[in-house]
Amino acid sequence: MKNKNKQSNIYRFFISPSRGDSPFKRMAIHLTLIIACAIAVYPVLRIISVSLRPGDRLLSTSLAIIPKDASLYSYYRIIFEKPFLLWLWNSLAITVTTAFIGLILASTSAYAFSRWKFPGRVPGLFFLLTTQMIPAAMLVVPIYILAVRFQLINSYRGLALAYSVSSVPFSIWILKGYYDTIPRELEEAAKIDGASQMGTFFRIILPLSTPALAIVFLFNFMMAWNDWIMARIMLQRENMFTWPLGIWTLAGQFRVEWGAFTAASILVAVPVMALFLYSSKWLISGLTLGSVKG
Amino acid sequence: MEALTAEVVVNTIKELGSMVLYIILGTIILEILVYLVLGKIFKSKYTLPYMLMIAAIFGIAMLVIYPIGYEVRLAFTNMSLRHFRSYTLSWAQGLKNFGLIFSEPVLKQIRFFPLLFRTLLWTAVNLVFHLAGGLGLAILLNRQMRGRGFYRALLVFPWAVPQIIAVLAWKGEFHYEYGFINVMLKSIGMQPIQWMISPFWNFAAACITNIWLGIPFMMIIILGGLQSIPLEFYDAAEIDGASRWQQFRNITLPLLKPVLTPAVVLGIIWTFNNFNVPYMINANELETTDILVTALFRSAFEYHRYGFSAAFAIIIFIVLFIIASVYIRITHGLKGAYE
Amino acid sequence: MKKFLTVLLVLVMLMGIVSIASAKVNLVLWTKEGEEALDWNKSLIEEFMKANPNITIELVKKTNVEVLREDFLTASLAGAAPDILWTVSDHAGPFVAADIVEAVDTLFDLNIYVDSAMDAVKLEGKYWGIPISNGNQLMLLYNKKLIAEAPKDTDELLAVGKKLTTGGNYALVWNQTEPFWLVPWLGGFKGKVFAEDGVTPTLNTPEMIATLKFLHDMKFDAKIVPPECDYDAADTLFKEGKAAMIINGDWSISGYVSVLGDDLGVARIPKVSATGEWPKPYTSGVYFMLTKGISGDKLKAAQDFIGFVSSKEKQLEGVKLLNRLPAVKEALEDPLITENPILKGSADQMVVGTPMPTVLEMRCNWDSMKPEMLAVLADTKSPEDAAKLMQSSAESCIKSLE
Repeated sequence: MKNKNKQSNIYRFFISPSRGDSPFKRMAIHLTLIIACAIAVYPVLRIISVSLRPGDRLLSTSLAIIPKDASLYSYYRIIFEKPFLLWLWNSLAITVTTAFIGLILASTSAYAFSRWKFPGRVPGLFFLLTTQMIPAAMLVVPIYILAVRFQLINSYRGLALAYSVSSVPFSIWILKGYYDTIPRELEEAAKIDGASQMGTFFRIILPLSTPALAIVFLFNFMMAWNDWIMARIMLQRENMFTWPLGIWTLAGQFRVEWGAFTAASILVAVPVMALFLYSSKWLISGLTLGSVKG
Repeated sequence: MEALTAEVVVNTIKELGSMVLYIILGTIILEILVYLVLGKIFKSKYTLPYMLMIAAIFGIAMLVIYPIGYEVRLAFTNMSLRHFRSYTLSWAQGLKNFGLIFSEPVLKQIRFFPLLFRTLLWTAVNLVFHLAGGLGLAILLNRQMRGRGFYRALLVFPWAVPQIIAVLAWKGEFHYEYGFINVMLKSIGMQPIQWMISPFWNFAAACITNIWLGIPFMMIIILGGLQSIPLEFYDAAEIDGASRWQQFRNITLPLLKPVLTPAVVLGIIWTFNNFNVPYMINANELETTDILVTALFRSAFEYHRYGFSAAFAIIIFIVLFIIASVYIRITHGLKGAYE
Repeated sequence: MKKFLTVLLVLVMLMGIVSIASAKVNLVLWTKEGEEALDWNKSLIEEFMKANPNITIELVKKTNVEVLREDFLTASLAGAAPDILWTVSDHAGPFVAADIVEAVDTLFDLNIYVDSAMDAVKLEGKYWGIPISNGNQLMLLYNKKLIAEAPKDTDELLAVGKKLTTGGNYALVWNQTEPFWLVPWLGGFKGKVFAEDGVTPTLNTPEMIATLKFLHDMKFDAKIVPPECDYDAADTLFKEGKAAMIINGDWSISGYVSVLGDDLGVARIPKVSATGEWPKPYTSGVYFMLTKGISGDKLKAAQDFIGFVSSKEKQLEGVKLLNRLPAVKEALEDPLITENPILKGSADQMVVGTPMPTVLEMRCNWDSMKPEMLAVLADTKSPEDAAKLMQSSAESCIKSLE
């Protein structure tokens, strides 16, 4: 069936075989790639090496990745002497809630945009795009005031609501694009068989859209997980801080606690990057949605 | 020290749980309202789509429309430190604010048009390198060879690392004595660069950081696009005697366009409005590294010119809007999306 | 149903009565402190609450003074401000301009406090804060193992400095990125940042040019300081024994004592040989400020707490813990201070210091001095050009405050 193959369509790689390339050319390509990888990875290695240095020392002229007197003290300190686990928990709770709510809001709205030509549709789409252009600094003060009025400051609720909604426009764009590639004949056929409109949504569209839904969930998650500016405004007590705020407090006004800062960075970055790499297949296909016709 | 205890976990779940219940309740109420008003009173055939969207619409109205409205109103006031509790709201004040943006320095020295120019330069430089780097790497990766997956995984690192961490880490690398670039320069006998003090080099540092951050995104998108171009096209072209370069110009580029255009539009918007990188790399708050959005943030939070910065924000938005619209017009890029 | 409702009503009324009777007062205190000072905050509050069981004080830590200032302004805007602030004197300027703090003239007996400490928060004829500690001044700290005695004037500093700066070691380190380190020298060259009226900037003066030139030459001619040096770098170099002297403030003393112990010496920043004047670092302090509109029980509780911290006993406790000079006159005369060489040196420096201006316009001065000072120290601008730009930046900044 056409749509079953849709998945494998996306995964079919049209890769140019390196037929007839001279070994010299191949080596040059590998070399270039290796250099590029080194540039891509080196700053991360430096963070690791600073986190292993005893004492809060960014300041050392040795370029060694693993310092001579490596110690895990910074990691110990960040986990046990700072509320690092608390920050992670706060981030996790807010982010997971956000990703789900945002996904639900977007998946239904995108369906509306995709299947109906209701009045206000094109301006609506345009509006969603333009929301991306608004500088965040512009919204920060009014959102704070609004949050205070509704007592949403320093709570999980406030930030979760803010994140959920701010990820919706982008998610709608992506999901709508994906829904558009699902032919309407499927829904027609199901309706003839007696299914309602919403029935087709739940039983046909959603199951077919799992890659796109996963991508949207992932994007929502990443956006909320990594955000600093909104959290800075909505969370003003240190026991509510998410990890970006927590890490930022380690970079004090005069003195940066480099050991703690880098150790925390590594502890946060590693699972994020693992998740990222694991889902990178989906990310590639997700971002080329709409360009792959059939 | 605040710690993660069972009590905290339970509280979180309780709080979030009750929030979800409230949301569900609110949504049900909204749905009923829409159903009754649109369905029963107006008997509109669009009742169902609106019911699907109403929750999102409500959220966006609160989170986007209300704040924008507040800012627009604020742009017509002279609210600042001296006029904090009681300020004047008038058309005249609004006109004055908008006028001030162009006639007086926005921060201490920097004026609007140099700031705009620098933001455009920032956007252009970054995008050019993002595209060139992404394209180059994607082409290299788009071949059968050993270690392909390995290279791709490593090259995605800059995108995978959370932006704040990456930016603060790069800031450390631009330290005069101990950053690795200067250490390497010194080891080959060259003069180290004063990244944090020199206006030119600080701007360069921000660009370098952002380029490093942005290439993987472009690379992945282009790679996806490349992989959807059937090989037969290249084969046919080769049979017809086209050179590699001609193949690239006439097959690859045009077929990449539908993938590239939205990516470039997003790239323009995100780069133009990028706050984290220029703000944090600028350790000494040099006004010569500020772009429009960081200047906006400073004028609101460091100079407390709330009314003025609201007007400033509106201008910035209009500028970006014009740029994006022009670009989309020129490339007819979003045709498919509106259908 | 009726019975249930009556019972409910009675319960609610009882709860109301009980709550009035216990009349718990809850204060919210925002503090800018961290580390040891924060611990002192906590212990003070704990002790006070034990003695006053019907008062609870909630301590909220703000990451740094910038965060405290930004958050207090946004919170006041939304009507969610705390009750008391534990913050720095220069916040008086912005907070008084925005009319969000309370004047304290009629609420406390201000005579027990050191005069210069009170002057620092005098604006528009009224006083706006209660001092907790005084000082915050920069001074010359030196490592006795590397240099036996501190130089008395700048000629001596440069001569001795040249000998000490070899092979990765520096004679002197200081935070070259903040104008706070420039103003003592400006005072030494007999300059000031404001004119007599206290609000007109006077940055384009021969004194400023001389100061900039001196700092520039110290780096490029005498070469006794590192080429690029921020707070972190200076601090680390001194702690690692790679710098003989550092210009830093009283807040850093405890850190250096723990690393250098008895080898730490404290002295005045050397006299400027050209003018014969001692440099005048800014003195300021840590203050209580009250949010505007505080009244009734909360005001009384706040007054009690502030009185508690202003007692001689608590003031001396602060001195012992944090090496900061007290703000209460009685405590300043205690042998604890007069007989401790480090504190004595610190007090010695403070004597020739000058109170930091806290008017709103001061912010403009700081912001204008910083980039130009950086440019001179990077050798990208001449002192004359830099001073001119400082003045024009400050003037346009002040205009924009309207």
